[in-house]
Amino acid sequence: MNYNIDYKELYNSFPSGCFCSLPNGLIIDSNIKFLELTNYTKKELIGKKRFTDFLSLGSKIYFETVYSQALILSGNLEEINFDFINKDGIKFPVLINSIVIRGKEGAHLFTQSVIFNISQRKQYERELLISKRKANDLSDELIDANEELLSNAELISKQKLQLEKFNQHLENKNRQLSSFAQIASHNLRAPVSNLIALKDFYKESMDLEDKDMIFSKVEIVIDHLSETLNELIDSVKIQENEDIRHDPIIFDSVFVKTLGVLDSQIVDSKAVVTSNFSDAPCIKYPKLYMESIMLNLLSNSIKYSSPERTAKIHFYTEIKNNTIMLVITDNGLGIDLEKHGHKLFGLNNTFHRHVDSKGVGLYMTKIQIEAVGGSITVESEVDRGTTFKIILKKNI
Amino acid sequence: MLEKLIAKNNITVNGTGSKSMFLVHGYGCHQNMWRFITPQFKDDYKIVLIDLVGSGKSDENSYDYDKYSSLEGYADDIIEICDALNLMNICLVGHSVSAMICLLAALKRPALFKKLIMIGPSPRYINDTDYFGGFSQNDIDELLETLDSNYLGWSSAMAPVIMDNADRPELAAELEQSFCQNNPEIAKHFAKVTFLGDNRDDLKKLTTDTLILQSENDAIASIKVGQFVHDTIPNSKLVVLETTGHCPHLSGPEQTIHAMKQYLM
Repeated sequence: MNYNIDYKELYNSFPSGCFCSLPNGLIIDSNIKFLELTNYTKKELIGKKRFTDFLSLGSKIYFETVYSQALILSGNLEEINFDFINKDGIKFPVLINSIVIRGKEGAHLFTQSVIFNISQRKQYERELLISKRKANDLSDELIDANEELLSNAELISKQKLQLEKFNQHLENKNRQLSSFAQIASHNLRAPVSNLIALKDFYKESMDLEDKDMIFSKVEIVIDHLSETLNELIDSVKIQENEDIRHDPIIFDSVFVKTLGVLDSQIVDSKAVVTSNFSDAPCIKYPKLYMESIMLNLLSNSIKYSSPERTAKIHFYTEIKNNTIMLVITDNGLGIDLEKHGHKLFGLNNTFHRHVDSKGVGLYMTKIQIEAVGGSITVESEVDRGTTFKIILKKNI
Repeated sequence: MLEKLIAKNNITVNGTGSKSMFLVHGYGCHQNMWRFITPQFKDDYKIVLIDLVGSGKSDENSYDYDKYSSLEGYADDIIEICDALNLMNICLVGHSVSAMICLLAALKRPALFKKLIMIGPSPRYINDTDYFGGFSQNDIDELLETLDSNYLGWSSAMAPVIMDNADRPELAAELEQSFCQNNPEIAKHFAKVTFLGDNRDDLKKLTTDTLILQSENDAIASIKVGQFVHDTIPNSKLVVLETTGHCPHLSGPEQTIHAMKQYLM
């Protein structure tokens, strides 16, 4: 089919603003739609106005610094958004497409441009932008809230850990208390019933001499009772004392002091006590504990020395796997470990029918060693001797 | 070290001359804007071109928002490059905001630079009492909005099919790349630093011989501003070009080259 198209009419009735400008920006032709957008007459506009005359200042900066340079360099730009101000000062957003028209020699002759009023679309875009910003703010808030929750959770798990630790501590205390109650009742029952019996004897006895004798026995039982009580109190003190101070200790000086304390027993038993601390001459350890450990073990060895032979007791230190050990070995009576091993370090366990056996010493020693994070083991053979190995401190 | 610097600022060096010319592009562009100018000087000069960090094909990862929150950061870069390339007696050319960057570089190390050429300089864009910069804070906010709304334009419309460079396809590819690489956040930050700055006090301190090239019709840096720059720099010459727009080296390269040659003769 053949249509008779009037191109000038087509150009003028075009539904977007078209204009043609010189390289210096001067508009030399436009269609009617462009005139409508500017609200100028053809006479006022053509040859007199530039596109930049209709731009807000902010848009003008963008036009000069970005748009015009990019257009010359590339020859073609599309969909650039500017704020357009018409003759009456009414401002609206437009999109512009431009193309550079060049002559045969490549010289820039004209620029052809098309603009669209995009007020409604822009309004929608603004709403979208506002929503996007709101969403961003909300997302920031969520991130903050999440961080707070996380830090709260961390706090709670920390508190939970503390509570667990505290609970463990309480359980431990509880166990100690119940074991203490058991020991106390057990240890006190014998002397108390002893006292009751003595009291009955005392009442029934008519003889003054008998009464004196019975009373002297009551005194002995009372002394024994108070000693037992003191030892029980001491053991409780050790269990409570978790953060005891560690002093620098020279093994030899504690050893010499111990010999002094037990001088009379050593002389009486004719025991030969020797030492060699050259492997580990010193350590950081609670001083009172070290004194008590050495005293207990030495008096133990003297007490259970064999009447058949000269008692030989040897103290020495050694370092094994970064660990300081204290070893006490003797040639005494020994212990039947198969029979008694499991209760060797319990309170009030005595393994020898011996005059002075009270069964508190080893229990105290074990508690003191463990309170500092160490351990004690025993090797023994009946009538050959006993060796106590004490791991004092790990990772020196 | 030098390789890193070259990548950071996309440094290119060409020309066979013995003297040095160092050209720095302005806001919104990159070193390709000098393409009509440099051929006329490449016989007499060794020509150094850079892309400011954050523009063109510079290393975007080197854009330190702290460092480049003032023009001093760019001035330090220029001095670092001059030292690394062992340049001396340099003719330093800066367009638009880079006229101020070059001013700061010349103040820091006057001995490095023999001549300074400012194209369309403005020490402050916002009006002040007794000073006409041409813009208000509101206008700059509007610009930032325009940047926002044309963000998508950077990647689609600004990377068009290059019509007039059919004979030089490498330039087309180069252009496309450089426009795509423009990071909208950096473009906005640079716009703020550029258009909210104030270097009026620095002009007085300049001792370097300076040429000011002023477009007759410039919406960004008007003749009034060019005159102010000329009046404030002690040792300066003002040439008004019969060109339109903020980029006479693009809209009127012949006149720009002529004025530069006259000055450098």
